[in-house]
Amino acid sequence: MRLDSPAGLKDFKESLLAAPQGQSIWVCGGPGCLAAGSQVVFEALQYEAFKRELGHKVAYRVELTGCLGLCERGPLVECSPQGFFYEKVSSNDAPEIIDKTLMKGILVERLVTNPQKPNKEHLPFYEPQNRLIMRRFGQSSPGNFDDYIRTGGYEALCLAFELGPIKTSKRVEDSGLRGRGGGGFPTGLKWQALREAKGSPRYILANGDEGDPGAFMNRSLMEGDPFSIIEGLTIGAFALGASQGYIYVRHEYPLSVLRLKNAIEEAEDRGLLGKDILGTGFDFHLLIVEGGGAFVCGESTALMASIEGREGIPRVKYVRSTEAGLWEKPTILQNVETWANIPLIVLNGPDWFKSIGAPQNPGTKVFSLVGEVRNTGLVELPLGTKVSTLVNQVGGGVHKGRKFKAIQSGGPSGGCLPESALSLPLDFDNLTKAGAMMGSGGLIIMDDLSCMVDVARYFTGFLVEESCGKCAPCREALPLFHKILMDLTTGKGQKGDTDFLESQAKTLSTTALCGLGQSAANPILSTIKYFRQEYLEHEEGYCRSGRCQDMYFPKIDSEACKACGACQKSCPTSAIEGKKKEPRLVLVSKCISCGSCLKSCPFCAISAQRRPNA
Amino acid sequence: MPDKYIHGTIDGIKISVLKETTILSASKLLDINIPTLCHHEGLVPDGNCRLCTVEIGSKLAVSCLYPLREDNFTVNTKSPKVHEARRFVLSLLIARAPKAPRIIALAKEYGALPSNRFLPEADNCIRCGKCVRICKINRTEAISLVGRGPERIVTGPFLKPPEDCIGCLACGLNCPTGNIPFREKDGIRSIWGRNFNLVPCPECGTALFTKEELDFHKEFAADYCPTCRRKKIAGDLLNCQNLLVRSN
Ligand SMILES: Cc1cc2nc3c(=O)[nH]c(=O)nc-3n(C[C@H](O)[C@H](O)[C@H](O)COP(=O)(O)O)c2cc1C
Ligand code: FES
Repeated sequence: MRLDSPAGLKDFKESLLAAPQGQSIWVCGGPGCLAAGSQVVFEALQYEAFKRELGHKVAYRVELTGCLGLCERGPLVECSPQGFFYEKVSSNDAPEIIDKTLMKGILVERLVTNPQKPNKEHLPFYEPQNRLIMRRFGQSSPGNFDDYIRTGGYEALCLAFELGPIKTSKRVEDSGLRGRGGGGFPTGLKWQALREAKGSPRYILANGDEGDPGAFMNRSLMEGDPFSIIEGLTIGAFALGASQGYIYVRHEYPLSVLRLKNAIEEAEDRGLLGKDILGTGFDFHLLIVEGGGAFVCGESTALMASIEGREGIPRVKYVRSTEAGLWEKPTILQNVETWANIPLIVLNGPDWFKSIGAPQNPGTKVFSLVGEVRNTGLVELPLGTKVSTLVNQVGGGVHKGRKFKAIQSGGPSGGCLPESALSLPLDFDNLTKAGAMMGSGGLIIMDDLSCMVDVARYFTGFLVEESCGKCAPCREALPLFHKILMDLTTGKGQKGDTDFLESQAKTLSTTALCGLGQSAANPILSTIKYFRQEYLEHEEGYCRSGRCQDMYFPKIDSEACKACGACQKSCPTSAIEGKKKEPRLVLVSKCISCGSCLKSCPFCAISAQRRPNA
Repeated sequence: MPDKYIHGTIDGIKISVLKETTILSASKLLDINIPTLCHHEGLVPDGNCRLCTVEIGSKLAVSCLYPLREDNFTVNTKSPKVHEARRFVLSLLIARAPKAPRIIALAKEYGALPSNRFLPEADNCIRCGKCVRICKINRTEAISLVGRGPERIVTGPFLKPPEDCIGCLACGLNCPTGNIPFREKDGIRSIWGRNFNLVPCPECGTALFTKEELDFHKEFAADYCPTCRRKKIAGDLLNCQNLLVRSN
């Protein structure tokens, strides 16, 4: 049914709300849970419900939904209206969930952490969170138009039509929103610049390229709530006088592409995209452009080149995109999460938005939390949340007995911050000041078994692969840095390598052409800044983290050893000896320093010692 | 119009230039020499070699592309920062092109030494893409830069000798490292792994153009060598004048 006026949309929403909701079972369809097998759980639940011929008796729904967040404990299932939050669900649990929860609304106790408080809001993982961008995850089926409208979708667009373009744009400009794509550039300035720019046509672009290794927040958003991005773009187009938009998504995200495509078609059918939107005479067309998956294509000029059909390499530009962007026309490019914030801001106003988060850093940010913490997953925190809250409460702390060593933020353009960063508020300015970057929101927590030189080597290697090769510094210097880091992590380091890397990496950041090269030195510079001692030790051939092979010997602390034998079992070369109830010993001659024992010891009694010659 | 002019200093020397003039062009007006590799006046600037880096305000920028837009600019083309940036770039390029005279001279000037730790394949190509841009502006588009990162190379389609090449030598003559070998022998020109027959001038017999070149640039109909063509045009003009005089 085509909706032909804002009033029609309102009536439609009311009719949806009037219908009985019944019991719903939401199976997490986020990337983490899908990988953990939630599709099978979902099908089992559907099958069990079907078998009992429930459709004839009660109103119910069993559906996949957007990422519920606590990927570590997936597959996850949330049941509404009660909000029961089931963890580590398998298909074997399906009959019980259907019999108890779906049919009777009763809790399946063994699937929750605390039967007294079976809702996810009570888990420490969720307590500090404020799920705004992710509010529909666990309440709606991704790409289901009715669900979107029921949960307040397109109300912001109707309001924008009422306010008119200038007032709408002002709301965004006053909100203090900052770009979620990395740099944290004030979105309002871009809106103002485009509003005042001359020339037409003008273009509205969404950046869904998300190339940071290990990050999946943009993907979860595109897969979980595609309409929110589309609504944001539509509001932007209306406020800024554009009639054509593009969403740039890497083709390695086929589900994102599919969900967005379906959502665009649905919105077109419903009269919310295309010609004469909601009968207001406003036209906006939206297309998806699939990128080849190069990291550099997330960079704005490369992204635009790619949309124009050229090779996705950056251009030198001393002119802003809002003046001359796509096809040299006024253009605005924003991250998909930035766009998803727009409906919230327009609907609730700038003051509401500023009341969340920190001064100069309003709102929430979705982070992917991975690494050596107990709870990994997708979290949405108000900006300005302390890093310690993130690590110790949301993440549940590092694994037992291990020590927090560093937090890596911002992916390959970001940096590693040491323990002192725990007291930092997580926001754009503080991260940048400390030498890291917000980036798109990837956070990796590292413990004392992570080697900082090795981390720098990994990211530099990634960037060597992803450098487009256009400008000389990035193309030629990164392989050189990578070689030196390789040497350092394989015992072939030389005295002075650290100083050389530091000075040359600094020059790289001032001479490279685009953002990739300019920030490519961050992983190196930040690790040298905070962990210089480790670099110097690597020059001498010692890795204190027990990560770089042949650069240490494992030593078992006989006091701390509880003689459990775990290390013995883990050792691939039988280099560990010791009888029952006796502390174990490492046979240096047989040890290949693979690091298995260090990781295996439940009491952290094994440490990496300097080799005699190092 | 005076408001189109902006004022500032380059290396302390006062200068007024039209707005949007690049730093490189402005410096040329003052005879200040900025080394360039990927730049050519007739081509779309690409800004990839980064050698022409200068300091504007306190930031580094590539002068071949940076448009002067604001009044009271201060450009420094010789500061220590600039020197270090150029030295850095040259230390990387000299590893790629250790035999190219121009790079050797520049590296010497800036005291740039290649690293002894990692040497890329010294194929003498600095990937400035001048050849590709020249080929493009000539509308032949026979060669292009392919591959990514350190693997980026200039080649014909599918890594084969470029079928669309007309043997005009524009790329070879403009390569800053002289790395596009070409040869002329017995009325045959060889470049990019292809051989072209040279067409002698019908007047004097000098062979300057390939047949493919003449076919491609039909509209110029340059089948005479430049010297003979000049003569011919002068003759034609004389004839025209005679005609005009007679018709009057
Ligand atoms: C190498 C590189 C990769 C980038 N990748 C992304 C990306 O994957 N997603 C993104 O939104 N922005 C990315 N950016 C930032 C964009 O260039 C651009 O600043 C951003 O999309 C603007 O949107 P925002 O204002 O909403 O942050 C990247 C930048 C660089 C230099
Ligand atoms: S000459 Fe300016 S960057 Fe190459």
